[in-house]
Amino acid sequence: MKSIPKLIKRFVAILLISLFLFLLTNFFILFIISKNMTASGSPYTTANETAKKLQRTENGYCLDKDTLTKLNEWGAWAFLIDDTTHKIVWCTDNLPNHIPEKYSLSDISDLTLGYIQDYPTYTGASEYGLFVIGYPKDRYWKSMYPTWDYYFIKNFPKTLIFVFSVNLALIFFIYIITSSKLIKSVKPIIAGIQALGEDKSIHIKETGIFSELAMNINHTSDILESQKYQLRKKETARANWIAGVSHDIRTPLSMVMGYASQLKHDIRLTDDEREKAAVIVKQSSRIGNLINDLNLASKLEYNMQPTSLYQENIIAIVRQVVVDFINITISDKYKIEWKTDNDLSVCLVNADKNLMKRAVSNLIQNSINHNENGCTIYVHIQTTEKECLITVSDDGVGATDEEIDKINNTPHYMVCDHNTFKQAHGLGLLIVKQIASVHNGSITIKHSRYGGFEASIILPLS
Amino acid sequence: MTNVYADKRILLVDDEPEILNMLISILNSEGFYHIKTAQNMKEALALADSFIPEFAILDIMLPDGDGFMLMEQLKKTNDYPVIFLTARGENEDKFKGFGLGADDYIVKPFLPQELIFRMMAILKRTYKNENHFVKLHDSIIDFERAEVIKDNIHIPLTAKEHNILEVLYRNLGRIVTIDALCEAAWGENPFGYENSLMSHISRIRTKIEKNPASPTSLVTIKGLGYKLVVEEN
Repeated sequence: MKSIPKLIKRFVAILLISLFLFLLTNFFILFIISKNMTASGSPYTTANETAKKLQRTENGYCLDKDTLTKLNEWGAWAFLIDDTTHKIVWCTDNLPNHIPEKYSLSDISDLTLGYIQDYPTYTGASEYGLFVIGYPKDRYWKSMYPTWDYYFIKNFPKTLIFVFSVNLALIFFIYIITSSKLIKSVKPIIAGIQALGEDKSIHIKETGIFSELAMNINHTSDILESQKYQLRKKETARANWIAGVSHDIRTPLSMVMGYASQLKHDIRLTDDEREKAAVIVKQSSRIGNLINDLNLASKLEYNMQPTSLYQENIIAIVRQVVVDFINITISDKYKIEWKTDNDLSVCLVNADKNLMKRAVSNLIQNSINHNENGCTIYVHIQTTEKECLITVSDDGVGATDEEIDKINNTPHYMVCDHNTFKQAHGLGLLIVKQIASVHNGSITIKHSRYGGFEASIILPLS
Repeated sequence: MTNVYADKRILLVDDEPEILNMLISILNSEGFYHIKTAQNMKEALALADSFIPEFAILDIMLPDGDGFMLMEQLKKTNDYPVIFLTARGENEDKFKGFGLGADDYIVKPFLPQELIFRMMAILKRTYKNENHFVKLHDSIIDFERAEVIKDNIHIPLTAKEHNILEVLYRNLGRIVTIDALCEAAWGENPFGYENSLMSHISRIRTKIEKNPASPTSLVTIKGLGYKLVVEEN
């Protein structure tokens, strides 16, 4: 969901840049227009300057030709009001007929401030009286009451900033309201896409502007769910099948083992017959172990083996396995030596006790199975800063480089993605690998320093 | 060797008659002859009323119920040891069985010797002699009085020493790990008590051994644990 704040930041940045450019452009346009509009000079200035140009002659008053031409070009007219009589004593030829000839003081005040009969008028002081210029009605609009509060003018910059800020806040508010609606619609879409990536099932409400997109995401999720269900069904059926078969074999196998074992110890039989019975016992025990391993391996492979991970002292677990092997007195041919440093008494790991016992048992049993003539098995635990290493090694026949490479790199046929029955190693080692994997660990296989085979389980410390 | 528990009444319950026949044959060869069999729960309960078994071997999957239910029913009237002998090898089933009070859980296929060993261990534990004395090389332990008798002197045992010796005695002749002994003395997850255990073992040796420096009854198995060895009767 990190993308939402990112999206908001980007939108805000775009908004601020837009606002800045918008204001800049407007000020620029305003500046150009005002400059154009005042190109002919201010009408107040014109009135003052023209008033000064008015001359008194013997025949009355006169203006120079250039000024008269300019006034004509603008459609403007002018007249002079005598200071004493308040009457027009001079005027241009184009003075409209309905312009009064005499003005009271209040008329003069009106025309100075604003208009004579809707004609905008401007006055200038002449040494002969009041000089008035009138413009066409649509030439200027005059502000007649240009009086401002003193403090308003004094605080104008502050007021301007305040107004600007209020405007900005308003725009922001409008923006937040509108964009939050958009984000509200986008949020479930983004959450949906993220959930798909995390292999989770999702269903987004198919409403709003992104309804079509939501529909497509829901559809994709349904397809993925269905595929997952089919895969799970297949895996469960496979694991159940193995579990069912192994269960069904157990009872008849018990009878084979039970009776064969009795025959093996029956002194009325000949040695040859008892030996044959012993072979049946040994091989049926092998089948028994094999179905147990097959069942566990398939369950671990398809995540159907319930695991309970608790903080456990791995030293105690491994020590118990070693003691159990010694207590059942496997055979004098096999010796087990505990090589763990006596100072290392606690090594805490998040582990499933039973599975870890099984993994270490498998490694010890592996050494026994592959050394018919006997061997010494060494069990060693050591720790690093982050890991715990359980090593089971022996001084037996060991394995060639090629065999070790095969064990390390060739998957067991049970977990292979192509058809093969070439076995890199037995189910026992596969189970050890799977158990290590359940504990977020791994295993390594190599030559033992004692001359035989060595397998290590590496687990992260808790 | 004579089977001192041969007179015990044993109830076998399994829906497979062939398994029942085989079990009878195995038990007969060990001297057990007081055996009754049932193929379902109803039959087993009816039989238990009249036969009053002292030991039972039950299958879990029965046509009219399961072995767990049957054990609960059986133990309501008489409390005697029960072993489950089943094709169900899942941990959950084992935990359930032990949780309900089963004395052992054996998954098929099994070796007859394994069944007999486990059965004898349970019988020994359940119907042990009333004699609480354990004769060692140089002394006698009296578990009931929590004391050791050496050279006619009665030496008391502390609670921890008693617990440690009891666990060792229950596993007579077998190695008991350092961790299991620590658990017996200090409860679950006893990390870092190895040195204290060594001190207790040393004190026990001074009480039970003639020469504690060279012990003959309480033997150390380097790095793994200790073993209690008794004088053969």
